[in-house]
Formats: sequence, C-alpha cells, structure tokens
Amino acid sequence: MSHLDNHYIPASKQRETPGPGLNWIGKSMKRVEDPRLLAGKGRYVDDVVLPNMAHAAVLRSPHAHARIKSIDVSKAEALPGVALVMTGAQAFELTGPIASFASPPVVQYCMAVDRVRHVGEAVAAVVAEDRYVAEDALDLIEVEYELLPVTVDPEAAATATGEAVLHPDRGPTNCVFDNSFKFGTVDEDFAKADVVVKRRIKWGRSGAQPLETCGTVAEFDEGTGKYTAYANSNFYAAIGFIVAGALKVPATHLKVIPTIAGGSFGSKLFNHKNLTLTCMLARAAGQPVKYMEDRLDNILNADAHGSDRIYDAELALRKDGTMLSLRFTVVDDYGAYLQYGIGTHGNALSQVTGPYRIGSFGMRLIAVVTNKCQQGAYRGFGSEVTNFVMERLVDAAADQLGFDPVELRRKNLILPHEFPYVMPTGNIYDSGNYQAVLAKALELASYDRWKAKQAEARKEGRYVGIGVATCQERSVYSPTEWWSLNPLETPGFALTSAPEGVSVRIDPTGKIFAQLNAPFWGNSPETVVTQVLAEQFTVDPSDITIGYADSDAAFNGFGPGGSRFTVMVTGAIVTATTRLKAKLRKLAGHMLEADENDLEFRNGKVGVKGAPGLEKSIADVALMANFFRMSFPDTPEFDSGLETTAVYDHPLTTPPAEDRRHLGIFYPIMGHMCHVAVVEVDPLTGKIDFLDYAAVHDAGTMVNPITLGGHIMGGTAMGIGTAVYEEFRYDENGQLLNASFADYHIPTAHEIPKVKIGHIETPSPYTEYGIKGGGEGGRMGAPSAVVRAVEDALKPFKISIDGVPIPPSKIRDLVRASPAAAA
Amino acid sequence: MKPASFEYARPQSVAEALSVLSARASDAKVLAGGQSLVPMMNFRMARPGLLVDINRLEELNYHRIEGPDLVIGALARHAALRSSTLVRAACPLMAEAYQHVAHGPIRNRGTLCGNLCHADPASEMPAILLATEGVLVLKSSSSERRVPADEFFRSTYETAARPDELLTEVRIPAAPDQQGWGFQEVSVRKGDFALVGIAATLKVENGKIVGATVAACGVGERARRLPAAEAALTRAIPGKGAFSEAGEAAVAALDPHFGVHADAAYRRDLVRTLTARALSDAAERAA
Amino acid sequence: MSTINITVKVNGKPRKATVPPRLLLSDFIRQNLNLPGTHVGCEHGVCGCCTVIVDGAPARSCLMFAVQADGSEITTVESLGRVDSLHPIQQAFWEEHGLQCGFCTPGMLILAYDLLQRNPNPTEEEVRDVVSDNLCRCTGYQNIINSILKAAGKMRDAEANAPARADVAAVSKMEAVQ
Repeated sequence: MSHLDNHYIPASKQRETPGPGLNWIGKSMKRVEDPRLLAGKGRYVDDVVLPNMAHAAVLRSPHAHARIKSIDVSKAEALPGVALVMTGAQAFELTGPIASFASPPVVQYCMAVDRVRHVGEAVAAVVAEDRYVAEDALDLIEVEYELLPVTVDPEAAATATGEAVLHPDRGPTNCVFDNSFKFGTVDEDFAKADVVVKRRIKWGRSGAQPLETCGTVAEFDEGTGKYTAYANSNFYAAIGFIVAGALKVPATHLKVIPTIAGGSFGSKLFNHKNLTLTCMLARAAGQPVKYMEDRLDNILNADAHGSDRIYDAELALRKDGTMLSLRFTVVDDYGAYLQYGIGTHGNALSQVTGPYRIGSFGMRLIAVVTNKCQQGAYRGFGSEVTNFVMERLVDAAADQLGFDPVELRRKNLILPHEFPYVMPTGNIYDSGNYQAVLAKALELASYDRWKAKQAEARKEGRYVGIGVATCQERSVYSPTEWWSLNPLETPGFALTSAPEGVSVRIDPTGKIFAQLNAPFWGNSPETVVTQVLAEQFTVDPSDITIGYADSDAAFNGFGPGGSRFTVMVTGAIVTATTRLKAKLRKLAGHMLEADENDLEFRNGKVGVKGAPGLEKSIADVALMANFFRMSFPDTPEFDSGLETTAVYDHPLTTPPAEDRRHLGIFYPIMGHMCHVAVVEVDPLTGKIDFLDYAAVHDAGTMVNPITLGGHIMGGTAMGIGTAVYEEFRYDENGQLLNASFADYHIPTAHEIPKVKIGHIETPSPYTEYGIKGGGEGGRMGAPSAVVRAVEDALKPFKISIDGVPIPPSKIRDLVRASPAAAA
Repeated sequence: MKPASFEYARPQSVAEALSVLSARASDAKVLAGGQSLVPMMNFRMARPGLLVDINRLEELNYHRIEGPDLVIGALARHAALRSSTLVRAACPLMAEAYQHVAHGPIRNRGTLCGNLCHADPASEMPAILLATEGVLVLKSSSSERRVPADEFFRSTYETAARPDELLTEVRIPAAPDQQGWGFQEVSVRKGDFALVGIAATLKVENGKIVGATVAACGVGERARRLPAAEAALTRAIPGKGAFSEAGEAAVAALDPHFGVHADAAYRRDLVRTLTARALSDAAERAA
Repeated sequence: MSTINITVKVNGKPRKATVPPRLLLSDFIRQNLNLPGTHVGCEHGVCGCCTVIVDGAPARSCLMFAVQADGSEITTVESLGRVDSLHPIQQAFWEEHGLQCGFCTPGMLILAYDLLQRNPNPTEEEVRDVVSDNLCRCTGYQNIINSILKAAGKMRDAEANAPARADVAAVSKMEAVQ
C-alpha cells in the first residue's frame, strides 16, 4: 500500500571487504602527485606550448539581453599580428550546439549567434600572435546591439513575456520546468501533524572559482582531419563525442588530452564550450590555438555558477518532536542556459529528508532562465542547498517547539539497525551511525563547555552562538538522477550507465602501470589508485606508476564529480587486479609446479601458502609472461602479456518507477557529517569571529585519511565562503557587480578557523572495501552550522536567518530590524 | 587581462622625472608601486600613454623626522612604514591603520604616496592624512606647492595633483605626547579596503576635550573629515556619552551612498559605532 | 611599439631579453624564461598564485612589468628544489598534505621561504598572517600552516646541525636550479 511497494534493493556486489589486515588502504600515505607539483613541474593547460601556437581572446557582451544587429570586425582583422576574427554567426556555420542535458534541450552554441543572453556571453573571438595583441583586437571590434528587456528576478521570470523571453524557440516563457512530485503520503502526513514549521529560505548564487580557469590548446591536422586538444575538462572519455559532433567530425577525430587541473569543484565537469571554441578556431586559423580564460572570462562566463534558489518549505511534526513529512516549493534561477537540465534537483532528492526518519516528501520545482551566467556543477550539485533547508527547518522546529536542537535531531536520526534505509524518494542510505558522528563532534567541539561559556558570555553582554548541523553527503551518483525528474513524455536521453574504466598492465620488469580515464582535479587519483594496487598486489607504491589516458585510449570513464571517483575507480581496479592476479597465479603455479589455488600474494611475490621459500617475484613471472610463451602450455589462458582493461558499473542502482512514484536507488553510498560551529558576533557591525569549529565525517572506509581530511577542511572553507562571504551580485540591468577577486570575496586564512576534524568509519556493504566518497566534504554541512551559530548568538534579538550569504551588512540589517535591537 | 600598449620611461633623477611629466602631462602616469595602477591597466580601465617609472629614484625612498614633522618620501614602501619604530612613535595612527592595509606582497611594492594619489575612497591612508592634518608636497618642473590634506582629496581617484606634478613627499605633524588616537575599521576580509574606517585624535586638558580630529573613509566619493563630530566633541567631557553623540553627529551629516558592498544604512551604522569606538580608544591613550 | 633590452638575474642566473614595455613580469617568467612553475590566477593582484621574490621581498609578478625588473633579482619556485631533492619547505608540504591541486602552491612556497628567512621561529598566528596573503581554494589553509610550521622546525634543526659557516649570508642562498 506504500509508494515503495515495487522498490527493491539488489544484493551487494562487494568483492573486497574492509578489515584490520589492510596494509595500504587506510594509510595516510604521502601523495604520489605532490613532488612535481611542489617543484613547480606540474603541467597545467596554460603550460602547454606548441610550435607556431597562436592565442585567442574572446569579446564578451556588455549587455545582459540584446539582439546582435551587426558586428564590424574589419579594424580588428587589419591589426598587425591578428590571424583571424570570428563572429558567433560565423561560428554557427562551423559548429553544432553545445551539450545540454535538459529535455527538451536549451540550445546554446560556443558563441552567441544573433542574441546575447547574459553579460559576458561570447560574441566574437580573435586569434593573434599573442594574448596582448588579441585583446587589442577585441577593442577594435564594433558591435551594434539592440537592447532587450532584462530578467533578473527569478519569481518575475516565470511570468515574463514577449521580448523578455530568452529562448522563444523553446516556448513563450522563461519558465523551463514546472512540475510537482509526491513521494509517499505527504498530504495526509501534513494533515495529521500537530505542528507545521514554515520558512522561506533563500540560497544565494556563489561559485567554485578555482584558482585555475578553463583553457584549451587545440590543433587540427589537415592530413588526418583530426583535432588534438589539451584541456582541463572532465567527461572527455564518456561524452567527448558530443564535442566531436559539435565540431562536425566523427567521434574518432577528436583527441582530448587531459591536463592536470588547478581545482575544479565541479566547474570543469564538462568544459565543452571552451573546447569547442578553441578547436574551431585552430582549424580556421590553420595553426594551434591556445585559449585560456582570464579571471574576468571565467567569472562572467564559465557556466559554473552554483544554485540560486528560493524555497517555501514546510516540516510537519508531532508535538513530541517526531518528524513526519517535508515539502517545499522551490524556484531555481538557472541563468541563461540549462546545460545540466534540472539535475541539481534530482541530485538533491537523494538525501532531501536528511539523516532523519521522515516518511514522505513532496515538492514543486519551478526552474526559470534569466539573464545571468548559467549554472554548472558546484560542490554539492544542489544537495548542499537542501541540506541547508532541512537544517533550517529543524532548528526552526526546535525553537518553535521549545526543544533543544541537538535533542530534536537525536530523536529523529535514523538508527544504526535501520540500514539500508529507504528514504521517501526511493534512494537508500546504505549504512551509517549518525549517533556516533554526533557524539564525536560534540566531544571534539567541547560542546558542553561552550554552552557554559555561552551562558557566561551572555551575562557579560557578549554574543556567542553555537550551531550544530547533521547532514548527509551522498556519493557515487547514478546517471538516472539526470533525467528521472524530466516529464514522462520527454525524458530525454535516459542513460543508465555511468561506469568507470581503467587499464592495468604489468611490464616485463614487474612494474605496474595503470591508466586512468579521468583527470586530476586536486583530488588524489594517482595516490588512491596506487594504494589500492599496492594492497592488491602486495607491492611497494614505488613499483606503481599511474597515467592518464587521452580520449583515444580512454573508455567508459565518468571521472570525478558527485564524490564518486575513488569508489568507482577502486571497483574497476579490483576487477582488473582480480583478473591479473588469476593469471599470475596460473603462470606462477606452472613455474612453481604448484596448484594455483595454493598460491598467495606476499611482499610482491606469488608463493605457496605455508612454504616460505617456494615463491616467484611478480617481476619473475612478468618476464616469463611477456617473453617466454613457449615455457607454458599451449592453451589460451597462458597467452603472452599481463594487461587488462576493466569497466565497473555503479554497484547499487535501480531504475525509477515508470510512473515516478519513486526514483529508484540512485545515490546510495551515503556519507554523513556533523559540524559544530562556535562564533562570536558583534551586533553593531555584523562581524563574525570563529571561536571553535569541529567537523566529524563518516565516509565509510577511508583509503587515505589525510587526503580525506583535506576535502573536509577545504570543503568547510568553501562552505564558510558560501555562508558568509560569497555571492555573485547582479543588478537590475543584469550587470555583475562583483566580477573580480577584489569584489568576489573568497575567504583567506584569516576568515577560516582551525577546524578540528574527526572521522567515523561505517563501511558501505556495497562498495569495494566499504569505501564511500567524501570529495564534496565540508561544504555540504558548514553553511547550516555557521548560520545557526550566528542565529544562536543573536538570540536576544530574536532574529531568524533564512538564507545565505550573511555578510556583516546583512547581519547588521537583521539586528537593526529586530524590535529588540539595542542600537 | 593584458594592458593596452604604452611607452615607458625610467628617469634617473627627480628633475628628469618632472621634465618628462611636464612634456607629457596629457597622457603620462607615474608608476611607483603599481599595486593600484597595474590592476586597472590589466582590466584596461586605465590606459596611460606613457608610464614614468620612478622606482629607481632612491633619493625619494625615505622617512624621517624633520623638525616637528614626520616626512615620508614618494618611494617609501608600505612595508617599511608599517614596521618602522619611527612611524609608530611619530604617527601611531598610521602604524595602527597599517594593520588593516592589504597584504604582504602588496605592501612590499606599494607606496604611501602612490596610495594617496590613487585616492580610492575606501583606502585607509587618506583618512590618516586628514586626521593628522598632513601636508602633501607637489613638485613640477616649474613649481613646488604644499597642499593640506583636506584640500588634496577631491573625489574618487581624483586629487588636487596636476598631471605634470609628482607627489614627492608628505609631511605629517608628529603626534604630541598627550594626544590620544584611535583607528577602527570594518572590512569584509582582513586586508580588504575598508567598508568604513574611522581615524580620530583627541587632546584632553583638565578633563575636557580641547582638540579633536575625526576622519572617515568608505563614506562617499572621498575620504573626509567629520566636522560635525569634531564640533560635538569640543569642550565635551570624554566618555561614552560624548563619543556616542559624536557618532550620531557624524551620521547626521553624512550621505554615504557609495560602493557595492554595503548600503547607506549599514555605512551609517558603521560610522556611528566606529566613531564612538575610535574615540574611546583615543581617550584612553590621551591619558 | 618599441621594445626594451633588459637584464634580469633569475634564480641566480643573468637572463637577457628584449621585451615590450607592457609585457607583465608573470608572462615574462612563464613564457620568455620558460619557468612555468609560477602560475597566473587573476591578473589583478589578489590571488597570489604569481608571487615571486623581487629584490629580496615577495611581490605579485602580475602587477609588475618585465621592464621594471631590469637590474633586479628574481627568485621563483624552480630554485627551491627538484623533484628528487626537495627543499625542506617542499618536503614539509608533502608530509603535511599542504597542497591538493597545486596551483596556489608555488606562491605559498615563496611566501613560506621568505617568512622563514626573516623569522625562523614563527608562531602559528604569524604563519597564518602570511598565508592569508594568498588565496587557496582547495585546502582551507590549515595544512598549509601546519606545513610551514613543520618546515620551520626542519630548517632550525638543519641549521643547528650544520657545521659553523663563516659566511652568514650563505644561509639565505638557495641553489640556483633551472
């Protein structure tokens, strides 16, 4: 009788279990990536220099919404040193549309064709002998614009008509999605509730802004008709063919060579516009072209702004504090295009009810386009927002019902014996011990001591506050989340594969090579893979080398994102090593004249169990395997070589129900965190000081605790930035007011406290070694803890904080408006 | 973000620099620290035709006491002034404000005089010059004049300096022993330009305020003295009441519509609060 | 557009070049000198990825023109150490996980190097103050601070164990490594 009647949880495919006997997994090994990065020898895309390479610069629209009436490039073309100038209309003849995961798609090209839809949109491109001259040429391009009405208010966007509609081909409205979903008995649960807590919550638009921008170095070989591009993008292995299609060449004719990226946090998930533009320019110019976004390019146009939402949210509870149901209406301002569809909402539905036992959930999602830069993927991909909404409601409920906020959480937290837990949308939480995480966080934060200090401080007229947030961190997305909320009539490309692939080989000297189909973003792929290989083969990390396949050699890799890479690549590695170890055993068995089933791996050797001298080194076996075919039986399993490829699919996913009364299992490897923030607030200036901060995370079995700690710490810093300091501010004309690092306030070391980090490990029953992803880290929980701490500090003013960011001026506004304001 | 083309001159003497400025007054810009000018050039918001690089004119790199004044040369870098015991003694207000100015590498190259000529309304040092009633020495190849601080700062990025003039030195009356001083600033991040900054000095005799200067940055198109606050303080008894009144008087006289990071209401709040706090610090130090 | 002949001492070696006035020092270092370890993140002096040492003090190379560096001494990250013989500061960053993507790292290493030259025994607050000069988007800063404190310890130990040297100035020299 429940909406989850036909829901099922597949059996675990786990092959490697966690346990105490692991040598490399669980070690805080120094990173393999570091020495070259430290020595200044890391090769980022801007370090790539090709012979005869030219440089591109892009002219960007100064207007938020306008028709392009004419572009005169004659003066720019005539400037000495300029190789070519191309307008968006010309690019339209040469390239197809950029990928859009929306259904129906929102059409976009690498440059605006006849209309600009946000300040900063590309209008024309110049290729010149150097970037300086290219920018001189930009100054000489004359564009005539016919201004169109600007839409920047998301709630007004849905009713905009006529010339204010950004994509008239798609429909007469700026509303690109308006649908409601119910999972479970939402209406009944609200009807029977004793208390309904309501809040209007705003989540401001911030963005990843990694220190390295997006760039491409491309060349076109007229002889082979093939593009080669160095780029700091992900997805070249999985959907690079879409860029090839846009370039009107077969998928085999675009080779993307990944360069290490100076940070991404989602913003380089699919750097397709930059890649398409640069390849096109290289072909047109007849020479290699480098296009590096500068910071202005990136802030205005990197298609990587974060969620920008207004929620009207309600939580239904019994008067004893038991949570019953959650529902909200959300308006999301996607900016001018919709590259990932409404995926940031599907994603959020994986954990929207938080770590609490809530039986039903409903939402109405209204997505609009406006004259701003489009959203992309930003650390959390929309789930960090619903975490915030949930925690604001929980704190509001505690205040309204007179409960202690920690006790209210404890009362509703899912219990250890309830896993795997099916939450209302059909996703599951695979394992967890939320009580242990909470207890550890409170202890690390010296919670009781701070409560006592807070009481003293209040007597002294100081405003000290404590915020506790208990939040989920889902990991390992399944691609169903990208389309499962699309209308049933137009699901779009309903893909069900998002694997990770790897190739592993052992060379004649016994060295192990693994090639990844995914890029380095500042995560630690080489280190993690080295640790798993070392564990599997019992070799030293120095015998292992990791490389990155280009898109010619790469296969079935979705790469980092959604905190999935460590889990997925480990799965692929285990498949690969299982196969290779079987062959090694077979070969060694023959060489040792022993039964292969009696063999074990120890210290880089294959030997007979219980017989210490009877062993061969992996190098010995590898030499034989590669060069001495005739020393082995003439059957296929002894064929030359020790190499394999492996593809690992998502270990636990099921399709959404056909009628979508549930969405199946799509993001089940569920991490969890508790953040405790202690702040002091100056109510007269709105300034915040951190007095203490603790963050305890459970990401299942840790492969490398210190690198996981790095994500927790870095994510927390980003979360503090999101909560207090960062927002892209557009004015009523669609002008971005803070388009520089001087005015977009990324926190420095002075704004980020020392965070006490703690770990709990409840392994996943479904992944290899029980690992869960933790890359999105502290950003999923910090905003909730920080905002609550500030709200708690200002309790005497009886204010409620229902949005981020809360810069000092905003805090001061709230205090000033409070009837209890002292000054 | 690459700058537009320009010509470049590196004069070997002050006289040569002044001569070049005279000849090219219409499109020349002095390059000292460059920490404010070069970002604007990289954004192509500034496009000088000629940069006159004065960084080799070591004769301008000094700060010392001359009679009653602390004199600071055009090439004195922020870093040197910030760590100078001489500055701390003669102009403690400047030393304190320097705790809020920018970051290490910026201070290593940036100069006080360059900062004053740039005249960013949110910059701290113009307020310090106003509160200490400093004098700016402007030289051209044909003239030398001394301009009091309160005539120097005209508007956003606009000063009394003529295009052919070089600010060669500032002269700040050394702080008398009995004078108290206070500096308060709120910025979004430490080292950012001020949202609002208040610099104040107080002289107290026989339990009454006999002299006060109050100056603010971040309150409009230029740093300014706050005469309304100063008037409220004259002959008042130092204490919370007087300082609070001075803060209110300052707010009443201001219309702080400025900048994207804070609205007028917030700036007024900051002026009120920071004025009172700066004065309170100053009173404590005046004792 | 005229060009100007300059001679700059870079990592101990004199380098001659002919450059246009507007060529930024950051581009000169990365392209003309082929020292791409110094990175460019913003070109308006905020992020600090481009930080190098100019005449003995850290400076933002994106806020200087190459022509200004004529006659000056520049030190970049390449002079600190090699992959197979890291400087103690680099070694400390490695041990303390003081980097993730590595893009801000050269600038942070330069700041650390300068700090520890001036102050071999900094407090955590002093280190945090220096680290706050530059942005990092990955680490949240704490491990960078830990790395620099560890480096300080390593360098004090090395100094304590080093044989007595007549030339005190030699303490501040690094091996010039291209």
